[in-house]
Amino acid sequence: MRQRALSTVYKLAKQDPRVLFIGSDLGAGTLQAMRDDIPGQFFMEGISEQHIVGFAAGLAQEGFIPYINTIGTFLTRRSFEQVSIDVGLHCLPVRLLSSGGGMVYAPLGPTHTAVEDFSLMLSVPNMKVFAPADAFEMENLLTALVDDEDPHYVRFGKGGETIVTQNFPTFELTPKVFGERSSQVVIFTTGVLLQHCLEARTNLLSQGISTTILHFPYLNDLSIEQILSNIGCAQLMICVEEHVPRGGLFTQILHEFASAQISTSRLNQLSLPSAFSHKYGSQVDHLDLNGLTAPKIASHVEGLLRIHGN
Amino acid sequence: MTTNYVDLANKLILDKRSKELRSMVLDAIEGGGRGHLGPALSLLEIVRVLYDSVLLHDPTNPKLTNRDRFVLSKGHGCLGLFTVLADHGYFPTSELKGFCSFDSKLGGHPERATLPGVEFSTGALGHGLSVGIGMAMASRLRNEKWRTFVLLGDGELNEGSIWEGAMHASQHQLGALTVIVDFNRMQASGDIDSIVSLTPLVYKWGAFGFEVTEVNGHDVVQLAKVLGSSTVPTGKPRVVIAHTVKGKGIASAENSTAWHHKAKITSDEISSLRAEVAV
Repeated sequence: MRQRALSTVYKLAKQDPRVLFIGSDLGAGTLQAMRDDIPGQFFMEGISEQHIVGFAAGLAQEGFIPYINTIGTFLTRRSFEQVSIDVGLHCLPVRLLSSGGGMVYAPLGPTHTAVEDFSLMLSVPNMKVFAPADAFEMENLLTALVDDEDPHYVRFGKGGETIVTQNFPTFELTPKVFGERSSQVVIFTTGVLLQHCLEARTNLLSQGISTTILHFPYLNDLSIEQILSNIGCAQLMICVEEHVPRGGLFTQILHEFASAQISTSRLNQLSLPSAFSHKYGSQVDHLDLNGLTAPKIASHVEGLLRIHGN
Repeated sequence: MTTNYVDLANKLILDKRSKELRSMVLDAIEGGGRGHLGPALSLLEIVRVLYDSVLLHDPTNPKLTNRDRFVLSKGHGCLGLFTVLADHGYFPTSELKGFCSFDSKLGGHPERATLPGVEFSTGALGHGLSVGIGMAMASRLRNEKWRTFVLLGDGELNEGSIWEGAMHASQHQLGALTVIVDFNRMQASGDIDSIVSLTPLVYKWGAFGFEVTEVNGHDVVQLAKVLGSSTVPTGKPRVVIAHTVKGKGIASAENSTAWHHKAKITSDEISSLRAEVAV
């Protein structure tokens, strides 16, 4: 996904001299072709995220569209004041491309795992927050919104995700719906957990349980109309996200439900815990530990249905 | 012989225009009943000289494409900027009296969204240099000739982000960038040297790759000469260390932490400050 995102930035930059790429001591050879081809639009700066965000804001103020890429925790935690004031307050079209969303960097420990990035970025006025599910959606997103005047935060997955959004060739801010209406179960999800949810849906179908998935690649405004049109008969709704319990998709859904005066009695949550993990391993290890892999999601849903069914 | 800039800044007698500008600062302070008086008076001559004779700017067209950019990174010195902008006609001087009132364009820190002439909203320290570096880079990328000036406080140099920016400005050889340090040697809680010493400041900036010039920050003739000179032939970014006096021009506020920021300022205090300006 990251590779596709960066190659998309290169493609956009070739077409539009306003588009710039700014990296923060990324690995050797990153976007080398762009660096060779259009060096004036390529910046590989030092390990200085606060500076880089301010630098990008200054460029954006003068009409450029800077795409910054580095590890998500450094963009969101280290640079938060620059993101909030230089970018958010001035509502500048700076793109924060966040490598390693959620537990991607689990082997590197809690300094590198972006488990509260949605919460931080959604709290910044004017910031639009995105979590595409695969490289196809990533490219569509970046291409469709290049001229958008607001700041963006875009969470990357690990890379190599199965393409599952191919039936949605244009990027819309509304959720992507997988499955029929009138299902017993509605799953709300975002980012690369869509793949796990789709697999869980297959598992549930084999048990005779119908499931609709709403994938929200855009987390700010969740399109309550589309939610309403899909939850009508559901016995159970569950939000599945790779994020701490508060401040992410689940919180956004609660806001939407409250504003539309929808009951939350059927709404459940699967998420990462509100904790810094001190275990390493892989992203999947942590998803599994927290019930976020397909078999665990399906099993959890079955259990909830048994409770709700009675 | 080494120039004793501190002595020069302390001894300099302000001219009529500088006193008039100070009276305008007091109009705002009186209106709001509060404000960062010391920082505003410390940088007043720097901002005055920039807008009088250095910057290409147009008060009737604050967004003039080829204007020089000025970022007041030490946003708490905004009363100095507001006063000079009003004096140049960016907005009516009468608006100074509304300082910090609910509907005023003039808050306790400068905001781009509300006040014509403010290039970037500041207040949290350590932001303006990197933003200014972005602006200077934009000028270069477009092959335009406008310049960028960023005014930093000396206390602001405590922020690590300043030095991140300094390294990058040097790395990119941003010759169209001028950093000005308002070096009054004080910050909110006391003398700089008693908190985090900046010594040797000239060498620090030099070591970070800047062309360094020192000047008496209240001497408008010297300021115009230094700030108005063309960019450095080496292509290095430059820093002008302006030796100033916090609260300059009002004896009771000079070198006083009490007047760094004050709220609930009484009319008796304002009268007393006005009398000191008139001297």
